[in-house]
Amino acid sequence: MILQALALTMRLAVVVSAILLAVGLPLAYWLAFSRWRWKFFAEAVVSLPIVLPPTVLGFYVLVAIGPMSPFGRWYQALTGHSLAFTFEGLVVGSVLYSLPFAVQPMTASFSAVDRKLLDASALLGASRWRTFWRIVLPLGLPGVLAGVVLSFAHTLGEFGVVLMIGGNIPGATQTVSILIYDQVQALDYATANRTALILLMLCFVMLALLYGLRRRTPSSAWMWR
Amino acid sequence: MRKLLIYAVFLLLLVASVSAQQITVAAAADLNYALKDLRLRFEHKTGDKVTLSFGASGNLFAQIQSGAPFDLFFSADEEYPKKLAEAGLAEKASLRTYAIGHLVLWVPNGVGLDRDHLPGPDTLLRDILLQPSIQHIAIANPKTAPYGRAAMAALEHFGLKDKVAAKLVFGENVSQAAQFVQSGNAQAGLIPLSLAMAPAMQGLGHYWELPADSYPELRQTAVIVSSSKRKATAQTFLDYVTSAEGTAVLEQYGFRVPQAK
Amino acid sequence: MSPAAGPASPGELKVAVRKRFSDGHSAFELEVNFSAAPGITILFGPSGAGKTTLLDCVAGLQTPDGGRIASGPTVVFDSASGIDIPPNRRAAGYLLQTLALFPHMTVRQNVQYGLAALLSDEREARSREILESFRIARLARRRPGEISGGERQRVALARALVTRPGVLLLDEPLTALDATTKARIVDDLRAWNAKQGIPILYVTHQREEVFALGENAIVLDAGRIVAQGPPHEVLGRPTSETIAQLAGFENVFECTVVGQHPEQGTMTCRLAGSTLEIEAPLSRVDPTQPLRLGIRAGDILVATSPPHGLSARNVLEGVITSLRQRDVQVIASVNCGAEFQVQLTPGARNSLNLETGLKVWLVVKTYSCHLLQ
Repeated sequence: MILQALALTMRLAVVVSAILLAVGLPLAYWLAFSRWRWKFFAEAVVSLPIVLPPTVLGFYVLVAIGPMSPFGRWYQALTGHSLAFTFEGLVVGSVLYSLPFAVQPMTASFSAVDRKLLDASALLGASRWRTFWRIVLPLGLPGVLAGVVLSFAHTLGEFGVVLMIGGNIPGATQTVSILIYDQVQALDYATANRTALILLMLCFVMLALLYGLRRRTPSSAWMWR
Repeated sequence: MRKLLIYAVFLLLLVASVSAQQITVAAAADLNYALKDLRLRFEHKTGDKVTLSFGASGNLFAQIQSGAPFDLFFSADEEYPKKLAEAGLAEKASLRTYAIGHLVLWVPNGVGLDRDHLPGPDTLLRDILLQPSIQHIAIANPKTAPYGRAAMAALEHFGLKDKVAAKLVFGENVSQAAQFVQSGNAQAGLIPLSLAMAPAMQGLGHYWELPADSYPELRQTAVIVSSSKRKATAQTFLDYVTSAEGTAVLEQYGFRVPQAK
Repeated sequence: MSPAAGPASPGELKVAVRKRFSDGHSAFELEVNFSAAPGITILFGPSGAGKTTLLDCVAGLQTPDGGRIASGPTVVFDSASGIDIPPNRRAAGYLLQTLALFPHMTVRQNVQYGLAALLSDEREARSREILESFRIARLARRRPGEISGGERQRVALARALVTRPGVLLLDEPLTALDATTKARIVDDLRAWNAKQGIPILYVTHQREEVFALGENAIVLDAGRIVAQGPPHEVLGRPTSETIAQLAGFENVFECTVVGQHPEQGTMTCRLAGSTLEIEAPLSRVDPTQPLRLGIRAGDILVATSPPHGLSARNVLEGVITSLRQRDVQVIASVNCGAEFQVQLTPGARNSLNLETGLKVWLVVKTYSCHLLQ
């Protein structure tokens, strides 16, 4: 039970982070460099999931993928089944839920790249594409990594959205957080404890690895005299 | 003279507000509509206020066990209140079965069902749930909701438990199960009659009552919580719910009256 | 016929543009029309004159409101026919004021950045050649953060030049360097250009550089060209007050000759708008024509009591109207009937207890008064 939920949750986090990396890069690029005067609208939309309670988001996703919505009907016609109560449905909900956590750090670090470097790159004959890959991305990498890590972590801990659209099916939509909640409600505190502990250890190990691998930035030794 | 009158009215209101009690009631999710109605009538009658918290009976049970400040607990079954009483957390003497709950199969409009032959009670579940157009069947989580357990029992009774296991979708409580099926995300649901009869579900689907012998009787029982500071008012409310008037209201909402013990 | 109207001969840069721009305080219209031959052309002018905007337009980083830019036979911008070649296809080398070296790449990678279109052999050969000619080959593997300011400048230059651009634009490239380093870099640049022969637009606001570098100078003020020509001509005989000030004459006065004294070698000039008279060196000018006199602020002495026994012919009584300190310079404005700017050291101000409202005497040597054309 626990392992199944754990594997499922990990898989969800990996898939969602991968999607958010692919979707987030171009979105962050556009948000960082576009000069469209209504850009702030897009920024607000991207930031919505931070402010919205997860249950609200889950509710809207459920409505959107249900048979009453054009999208739900289209998906049903295409694949023969609904997106609700499936792993793929969770992916959709989680991608929306973690979108700002992926995009905002990326946008921030892209914006922080010195514009003069971009000018210099163009003056040396580089196309916008080449400038992005050789200048913006390498210099903005910390933000990209932060975005990936944040979306991974955020998805691991997701509860509200999964609760609304998952249907609590072991092996398909029963994530670790739902499992723990289930166990607590069933008054099986011992198992709940065990499950929670495993998740805690896992997260701790991941974070420790991450921080250990990051290159240490020099800091003034005298600050800690 | 007029001043005196104003003073008197003021005092009366003061006294009335001071003596007006407020109780907090934990109620199984299937009582969503029925209890709200009963509350309004009760408040109108007595001036006391009732705050309602709905959830899966098992969930509420766990909360009371952990000291949640409820005065009264309306469970969907008999076991949870009994357990509370045995543990000393509820007044044993106040245990009262207030209604018998019923399970129905609800199917939203638009699900392609073979309606040519209306299923009889014996073949009901089999005829519908095994159809290919039924991809998801919503029930309340059996671990925490008596209706969920009843649904599983009914499936077992009809020999369908293994066959439909892969299609089952679990709602947090009966309300979420109803929501799953009402929105069409699940193509069938085993939910309380009281929710199937609710205005929100009217005209959106079709339901069939399950035969009473296909699942253990849902003897919905209430109990007063020991830690309550307003047991008298709680008792008054419980008395009202189980009175002739209260029972009539419950029947309107799809509950059956418990036979005299 | 304006210089930029006809076709450019190979290697010549012809620029005729106009553009509205602002220097942060007020809006100007940049309107220029000039032609730059192969060699170093200095773009000289005060801050906010539009020099950087002009370079940006030539490079394609900014779009002029209208006009035409041609680099050799190629028209890179023409508002009439809608031509606007993006910066990455203009073959313009541009050394930005901040250098903009890529911090995450080595010197070699920086220099090779613009050579992506070449085969790796040729890329290696060219980058090695330029690293050697700018004497930075030993730094090839270092990052920009690990080398000195002068070395960074060379790397930036090498990076811009290795692509064999048709025109080179330099925006105040040598400001932060000491004289020796500057001189060496300039020599390298000249040597390099002797071989390549492209137009180089060199922007500066320091007059020493104008003299040191330029074969040709263009003076820009408030978006307009106010003078063109060889440096000593443009600055030695300033044709406008702005240029005079740039050339270092803070005090410029219109005056008329009221008396000539050939045996003294002086002439008396009355400053316009006042009764003040100054002795200036005698020169062969038409005494009926008004002329301009320039006095450097650093050439004026201040006395707090009427001085005696001085050789100076001009002692002017006045009142200090303002005292400003800028870095280690103190500028005093003194009203003697006409307003004079005087440059002092902070020490002088302190020891004389100068303050606004104080009556002082200004002392100006005859030979400190320069006739401006």
